[in-house]
Amino acid sequence: MSTEIKNTLLHDWHLKNGANMAAFGEYDMPLWYPLGVKGEHLAVIRSAGLFDTSHMAAMTVQGAEARNLLQHCFSKDLERCLGLKKTPLVEGRSVYGLFLNQQSHVLDDSIVSQVSDSLYLVVVNAGMGTMLTEHLGRHDEGMQVEITDLTDRLGKIDIQGPNSAKILKKLIRDPKGVFEDFPYFSFKGWFEDGAGVAETVTLNDSTPVLLSRTGYTGEFGFEIFVRPEKLVTLWQELLVAGEEYSLEPCGLAARDSLRAGAVLPLSHQDIGDWPFSETPWPFALAEKAESGGFTKQFLGADALLSSETKEYTLPFAGYDPRKMPVSKSSFVMDEAGRRIGIILTCATDMAIDRVKENIVSIATPVTAGRPEGFAAKGLSCGFIKVDRKLTTGDVVLLTDGKRKIKVEIRQDIRPDRTARRAMREML
Amino acid sequence: MKEISELNLPEDLRYTKDHEWAKVTGDTVKIGISDYAQDQLGDIVFVELPAVGDNFDQGGEFGTLESVKAVSELYCPMDGEVVAVNEALEDSPELLNEDPYGGWIAELKPADSSQLEQLLDRDAYLELLKGE
Repeated sequence: MSTEIKNTLLHDWHLKNGANMAAFGEYDMPLWYPLGVKGEHLAVIRSAGLFDTSHMAAMTVQGAEARNLLQHCFSKDLERCLGLKKTPLVEGRSVYGLFLNQQSHVLDDSIVSQVSDSLYLVVVNAGMGTMLTEHLGRHDEGMQVEITDLTDRLGKIDIQGPNSAKILKKLIRDPKGVFEDFPYFSFKGWFEDGAGVAETVTLNDSTPVLLSRTGYTGEFGFEIFVRPEKLVTLWQELLVAGEEYSLEPCGLAARDSLRAGAVLPLSHQDIGDWPFSETPWPFALAEKAESGGFTKQFLGADALLSSETKEYTLPFAGYDPRKMPVSKSSFVMDEAGRRIGIILTCATDMAIDRVKENIVSIATPVTAGRPEGFAAKGLSCGFIKVDRKLTTGDVVLLTDGKRKIKVEIRQDIRPDRTARRAMREML
Repeated sequence: MKEISELNLPEDLRYTKDHEWAKVTGDTVKIGISDYAQDQLGDIVFVELPAVGDNFDQGGEFGTLESVKAVSELYCPMDGEVVAVNEALEDSPELLNEDPYGGWIAELKPADSSQLEQLLDRDAYLELLKGE
């Protein structure tokens, strides 16, 4: 893997607009802009934020046996994954899952989208395109399938927050038609002309885009895939279109605090090169069959079924905004002071606070328990990996040997997230 | 992020290599963090203040600042006793971002005023920043 630091096509824009930059997954990326991470985090909850996510990698898996290859390598059962009835993945729908190795260690997490019977888009994390292209290539023996690494060949912008559709509709043709029948984890269009996609989505200047109702903030919004040469223009057009909604460019720090509050794992930090066993994300795996195994055989399944669970990954939330940095010297203690595990993520969700026993968000309706005049100071939150099973409500301490922070094991963190809201409520 | 030329670095303060400032006001010295520090840290979400009456040695940890990016220790720029803390920071830690020189953190009664002379003046601090 090259250690050279790369730039996305928006790098100049980030610098010109005062972003605080840092290296992330081989790319020099904005952490925050002059507004600051708190303002960016709150903008996504209240209205909308714009994220440069072109550092993320993608692949296409194409050919008569593309589905078979994914069924073998991807943790979700594509024949049983949609909705409550667990129906097969179909054209225009996407599913979240994992690529595991034989030992059930996580190579990366991914969203797989079915473009057609013989074409799938596989979106993975920054820097992972080459590794996963090679990984899939090692398992496609004798299959009629072609895997193409799209790293740096695809521009990607995420618009996230409740006003995302109102902003986006100004820039696309036939917004009424496009936004009709557009549930969570579905997509429309393709980022190049052709490709045999039934439904196309184009910007007002005829540029084709792939519009996906996904993202990684827990809030309503879209991921927009576009040809690289259109990326900067689209970014600027979105910011202009979003002015009346106070759309804010957002950096990776806000993305991290938003996803932590939404209980979403960061690959290679919360899930990674260790067995994927007891986690808050069992939905990333195939369904369990009545026999006790999974509904399909896939890479890592045997290890998942046979391994004895020794580690438990759990979400937590603190009682104030204080964090414990993840470092070699920080760890998790039980209330008696015994070391029981490590901290995977510790961030501050600045949109939430505690009201008596409950966590309330600035987005929580007054009728659902948000007090009048509620102002959130923020709560630390994230994930720990411990050597014993803990239950919701248990209290543990995060420490670096000096400072101690009391946190509570939670099932969920930020309430009243908008990601799954019906499209008709968001226009 | 601010360019060095955009930083506000008042002439009448002394600075430390840990990006704090110290200002003499009569018998006592007020301590805070520099514009550079607040810009690098980003939004400050929590300030752990020392207690009035605590004594610290020069270089001793007298509190912590939590930003979205990191938790940073505050180091006492000189030996002394804490005579006051800026309690407004408990509810509004963002004051340190908004006005790092108005938003002082603690006030010390120095044990040895000559230690102030060991701190950097504006020009020396600017040189240090250019090297960062």
